[in-house]
Amino acid sequence: MKNPDAIVIGAGIVGACAALSLTNAGLKVLIIDRGTVASGTTGAGEGNILVSDKDPGPELTLALKSRDLWFEMQEDVGDSFELEAKGGVVVARTDDSQLMALAQSQSKHGVITEKLDSVRLHELEPYLHPELSSGVLYPQDAQCQPMLAAARIIQSVIARGGELVMRSKVLGFNLAHGAMKGVVTSTGEYSSPIVINAAGTWAGEIAALADSYLPVAPRRGFILVTEPAPQYIFHKVYDSDYVVNVASSDADLQTSTVVEGTRSGTILIGASRERIGFDSTMNYEIVRKLAAQATSLFPILRDVQLLRVYRGFRPYAPDHLPLIGEDSTVKGFWHSAGHEGAGIGLAPGSAALITDAILGRDSFMDPHAFSPKRFAEVLK
Amino acid sequence: MSNSASQKISFTFNGVAHEGVRGQSIAAALMESGVRELRQTRFGNEPRLIFCGIGVCFDCVVVVNEVANQRACLVEIAPGDQIRSSK
Amino acid sequence: MIAIVGAGPAGLAAAMTAAQGGEEIVVIDSAPRPGGQYWRHLNQVEGYKSGRSEKYFEALRERKNVIHISGAQIWSAVPGENSITLNYLADGIESSITVQKIILATGAHDRAIPFTGWERPGVMTPGAAQALLKGHNVMAGQQILITGTGPFLLPVAVGLAAAGADVVGIVEAHSPLRWLMSPVALALNPQKALELLYYIRKIAKYKLKIRFNQAVVAFDGKSATIAKVSKDLTTKKIVSKVHCDVVAAGWGFSPDVTLGGILGCKQIVDLDGTVIFAVDNHQRSSQPNIWIAGEATGIGGADLALIEGRIAGLSALGLGISLRLRFQRYRLQKFARALQVSYPVGNGWQGWLRSESKVCRCEEVSLGEICSSVTELSANDARTSKLFTRAGMGMCQGRICSRNVSEIIGVQTQCQVTDQERIAYSNRPIAAPISLGALTDGIK
Repeated sequence: MKNPDAIVIGAGIVGACAALSLTNAGLKVLIIDRGTVASGTTGAGEGNILVSDKDPGPELTLALKSRDLWFEMQEDVGDSFELEAKGGVVVARTDDSQLMALAQSQSKHGVITEKLDSVRLHELEPYLHPELSSGVLYPQDAQCQPMLAAARIIQSVIARGGELVMRSKVLGFNLAHGAMKGVVTSTGEYSSPIVINAAGTWAGEIAALADSYLPVAPRRGFILVTEPAPQYIFHKVYDSDYVVNVASSDADLQTSTVVEGTRSGTILIGASRERIGFDSTMNYEIVRKLAAQATSLFPILRDVQLLRVYRGFRPYAPDHLPLIGEDSTVKGFWHSAGHEGAGIGLAPGSAALITDAILGRDSFMDPHAFSPKRFAEVLK
Repeated sequence: MSNSASQKISFTFNGVAHEGVRGQSIAAALMESGVRELRQTRFGNEPRLIFCGIGVCFDCVVVVNEVANQRACLVEIAPGDQIRSSK
Repeated sequence: MIAIVGAGPAGLAAAMTAAQGGEEIVVIDSAPRPGGQYWRHLNQVEGYKSGRSEKYFEALRERKNVIHISGAQIWSAVPGENSITLNYLADGIESSITVQKIILATGAHDRAIPFTGWERPGVMTPGAAQALLKGHNVMAGQQILITGTGPFLLPVAVGLAAAGADVVGIVEAHSPLRWLMSPVALALNPQKALELLYYIRKIAKYKLKIRFNQAVVAFDGKSATIAKVSKDLTTKKIVSKVHCDVVAAGWGFSPDVTLGGILGCKQIVDLDGTVIFAVDNHQRSSQPNIWIAGEATGIGGADLALIEGRIAGLSALGLGISLRLRFQRYRLQKFARALQVSYPVGNGWQGWLRSESKVCRCEEVSLGEICSSVTELSANDARTSKLFTRAGMGMCQGRICSRNVSEIIGVQTQCQVTDQERIAYSNRPIAAPISLGALTDGIK
């Protein structure tokens, strides 16, 4: 493509959604990726589209809108990426007061919640440990196959006049008087006044190539994948500690239980969070811990075998909010990154925000809280 | 092998009684008695027997005494085993 | 203490050698009985030099400083300061052992190439047919057709025929004269010519019919379709159908590199695209206190494995390696290389397949699905294609199909499969399935 209207760096879910949204707004979009489609964090996740794990605030507003946009996008793209509103069940392991308080405040902000007593809880999840007696159902929680979603969305972008260049590594930017002119890559130079950095966990490195600063760091996570098993788990089931851990800034290892079945019959078990850089060394103690937490929720899983372990790096920003908006110094350089473990869920909403901002349109929400400039201001 | 007759082991496969020799794998014992299908596949419902025969390919997995996904080519028959095809 | 992983020829030779030095030895093996895939136990099957195993088994049984842990699947390994911990499962229960040194002799399994109908009951590897016979005294079927490439097909065919099987044919994809392509390797290994003569005589004795430059390209459950193939396995024309109930198809071997991969031992790609370990002339891996012997350092057969096992055992004791041993290894390696070059597996087999032919047996993924992941979903490498199609994601974790999927993607994208990709798809952090219950109970 000679002169694209916009260049998206990153063919993960965030880049794919941004490219589709810009394409639908009439722009000619070029997507570049140093690897292939979904070869970063998108390819190492479960495909969570959650509203349940968000406290009321800008991220919840984004998550709610984004969740609806997922279903609109499925209509638009017209192809299956296993999108399913399977619902989330959050279980209180002991004291349920925190969980109930959260559910109550979420329900005032548009989240549908249903408090579950013991009978109803075990009706929804019959294999749950019999002693667990309290939880909340979040029917809006959904899931997709994220790699397939990114690929299908990018196919639509291409069908609508866009282009994808894989194995193209960004080496630098052409800037003039503080404005974006184009990208220098290992596969050549591409000119465009608009560049969107959707490089996920590696977005900080991309920003640095334009002498900008974006505080995105990796937060490692393991996911266990079991052998195909009969359907024991009917929702996305997690313990209420998960919400606490997601919001934690602690660098040390945290694990909380997230268990769910997939269409292929395998069971996915997460989630660990630790900030140790891009270290992909296997840690079997984490594997054991995740297994133990899963079997304590679902004793029937004791006889199910572990087959493999995914390792991924969530793009983590210091305040746990994504970075969506124009760069603090370079005009025409936009970021949509740092979505941590919620990138799949937040991708279409983030894409809408960035498209609206680029086109100078009003958006469904005030995007100020996500502005990348918030860290530049701190630095000054 | 002289005392093999005394080492006959009885077990069932999908409810049908079978016999094998001590030390034989489930797959070997069943194949010896003419079984040509250990399981059906999850998606295509196609019959499968053994393939690699040495525990690598997991094509021959069966449910042994209610423990799923046991490799019939590796697990030796034991008296009274209740074995069935997984689905 | 020295742990030896694997009780095939390499592992047993290492165990016997190291035991002579008085060290405490533990041999951990996944099979119920020692011998590996080569020396199976129930009965003696006719074959060249088939009686050699007894002295090794005896050492395993009789020596006081040797412990044999059988039926144990190592699922993970963790290097420590000056030790290595191996976690293994036996009868569903997890145990651990911590040792100072390890000799890995994890062996190999038959490489399988898909063809239409290869998932049907009756299609198996030659190793499977041999394991049934040697290990369990069971004949794989009534009429057995043997196909693929390489000298290993001969002992399998002869063993089966000698035991009374109706071997309806040997279908070898390459020419009979390819053996002679490396006169130096043969001159260094005159005993190999004797071995060949032995099998030629046996083939005559059992009146086995060999076809060359042909391959089984389809199986419908009752008969196998045989085609004439070119050197890269491209189908030239269908020549016949042979009635049979078993097709034993083997295309060389794939070494098991999982455990060494977990321990960080350096891997390289061999001449034929197989991922193996880099070892020095003492069989030392790139990691301290880990030696590797046998097929995992390059497919070479039992004779080479025995020598490598001895060398690893000596080196683990801190002893020197005699020139004689080094020469024996050299000439056998030379021969192994010559065989690799003589029996290549080209990518022509992809043309045997129909769009609906299965490539991944576990997840039942067809060639068509893999190809459309490239054309319709922009998959550009095997990893991405596997994530889209689930090829290689099933119970076997890609041990059977990974390499084939990579070769298909290579052809589809017109990109050579890189060494880095080959090494990546050979590695798995979980070396064997383990129940979540066992994992839970193993928390310290």
